[in-house]
Amino acid sequence: MNGAGPVLSTLAGIVYALILAPIVVVVALAFSADNFILFPPSGYSLRWFQQLAGNTPLLNAVVLSAQIACLVTALSLLLGVPAALALDKGRFRGQEALKNFFLAPLLLPTLIVGLALLLFFTPLRLTATLPGLVLGHMTVTLPFVIRMMTTAFSTLPDDIEAAASTLGAKPWRVIWRVTLPLATPGLIACGALSFLLSFDETVISLFLSGPRASTLPVEMVRYVEGRTDPLVAALSVILIVATLIIVVLVERLVGVARAVGQ
Amino acid sequence: MSYLELAGLQKRYRDSVAVDDVALSVEKGEAVALLGPSGCGKTTTLRMLAGLIDPDAGSIRLDGAEITRQPAHKRNMGYVFQSYALFPHLSVARNVGFGLEERRVPRPETARRVEEALGMVRLSGLEGRRPRELSGGQQQRVALARALVIRPSVLLLDESLSNLDAKLRDAMRHEIRDIQRSLGITTLFVTHDQVEALTMCDRIAVMKRGRIEQIGTPEDIYERPATRFVADFVGRANVLPAMRNGAGAISVWGVTLPATAPADGEVDVFVRPQRIRLAASGEPSGEGMVQLTGRVLRSVFVGDHVEVIVEGAGGQLSVEMQSGTKPPAAGTEVAVLWQAGDTLLFPREAT
Repeated sequence: MNGAGPVLSTLAGIVYALILAPIVVVVALAFSADNFILFPPSGYSLRWFQQLAGNTPLLNAVVLSAQIACLVTALSLLLGVPAALALDKGRFRGQEALKNFFLAPLLLPTLIVGLALLLFFTPLRLTATLPGLVLGHMTVTLPFVIRMMTTAFSTLPDDIEAAASTLGAKPWRVIWRVTLPLATPGLIACGALSFLLSFDETVISLFLSGPRASTLPVEMVRYVEGRTDPLVAALSVILIVATLIIVVLVERLVGVARAVGQ
Repeated sequence: MSYLELAGLQKRYRDSVAVDDVALSVEKGEAVALLGPSGCGKTTTLRMLAGLIDPDAGSIRLDGAEITRQPAHKRNMGYVFQSYALFPHLSVARNVGFGLEERRVPRPETARRVEEALGMVRLSGLEGRRPRELSGGQQQRVALARALVIRPSVLLLDESLSNLDAKLRDAMRHEIRDIQRSLGITTLFVTHDQVEALTMCDRIAVMKRGRIEQIGTPEDIYERPATRFVADFVGRANVLPAMRNGAGAISVWGVTLPATAPADGEVDVFVRPQRIRLAASGEPSGEGMVQLTGRVLRSVFVGDHVEVIVEGAGGQLSVEMQSGTKPPAAGTEVAVLWQAGDTLLFPREAT
């Protein structure tokens, strides 16, 4: 922090405060003893956490969202990593065009993607189903994984893979023994971000959710539409803690992978 | 038929030719250097040999078999990269053992051969280290051991010493040459360092703009350069513009040389600074000597020799005198002498 003058430090402080203030409000509300949202709360309790434990629709949504996020992460890595390898290492016609094609969904507003998916999935009876939601989320995570991993692979030092092949390693052995281990930090980061992107995804889920299957963000939106009690704040605190744990874990894992790798 | 034969090898990139019609024969056990300035195509040639770059034309034959289109992992060539390219996530022992594991050599034998290879490059005891825990010189030795342990048909070294400091480079030069000789392994070095090429190899191929200018022993290359480029690139040379007389005889600084110009056109005379001797002005020149006269401009102590700059009627030239001898004072009139046989003549290049 040396070097930053008092003016800069103060400015940084204000910005942080503005970003964190809503979270402070949410945390305070989560421990509220009131029946409705009132800030600051007139008293503190754990009653909303207890309420949450009995709220089946929200708990079901948590489970569904977690399931979706796990599947989305696994499938995105499973499809995205080989695709990124092909885009980076392969030499074929239309390679550049394909790279741009996979980038396109990232640039498209999710609102449009959501609507398109709704129109496309309805005749296939995929709306409000687990597979439908997984596929929907993958339109966000898959291009993201492909993009990030293409970059990760292309920044690996060329000669290390060449060295493996001169030593007699077949192309798939080079990928298995050299490319993937060296790209591990990228893989972990990609996995974690895919999980969070899917868990957090609201717009596409709004289009694809229904009474039969509804993700957590959608359920939360619905809940606050109808009620004004601090239950959602209690849920938010749990999500914040869970996210922090994931971020710290990834930070550790990537750090370890870097330490082992480089 | 030689052990390794390159014929008509060519590689073009979008707007330039990196390697153009390169032909080279290497005998078994021979060490050959590809010497040239950066961008002359020497590394591209080496990579084509290893199968890391596909040639556009030409052929590579190893021990009678055509391997031009064979993928790198089937060629059994040991490649030491300029960057060493060690596997950062593997220990020294597993780096060296990599090629053996890929060849499914049984574990006990792998362990034994890895130990042997590390002993050869004097790295025993560092098996468990990671590459980043090693010094540059040690990393280079690991890279060498890793390439040697697979008992390659050919050892390829790409500017392998250029990242080391001067002292270490000298030591490694001898070490690699000794290992190469004792194993009798066919070796190709790529280097831009003439000392490396001259000291480490049986023969040198000097490359320029994708083509081989001259192939020969270090003595050939140094003493009998075939082209002006070779004379200029290998060793130092005084370049003296020559005048042509009516009869085809040529003169430098007004002195006619006992040599005739090879072809029409302007020519330059090349003389190595260490082949020139200085004598007191007016001393009679011996038989077969070229003698010019000039005045000492200055002398510079370089450590292992003293460089004396002499100015004459047609310009300046530099003379290398053994250090320890006292150079003539600036302003002294001197005779500049060299053996007529040390004179090299090349057509003048359009500048």
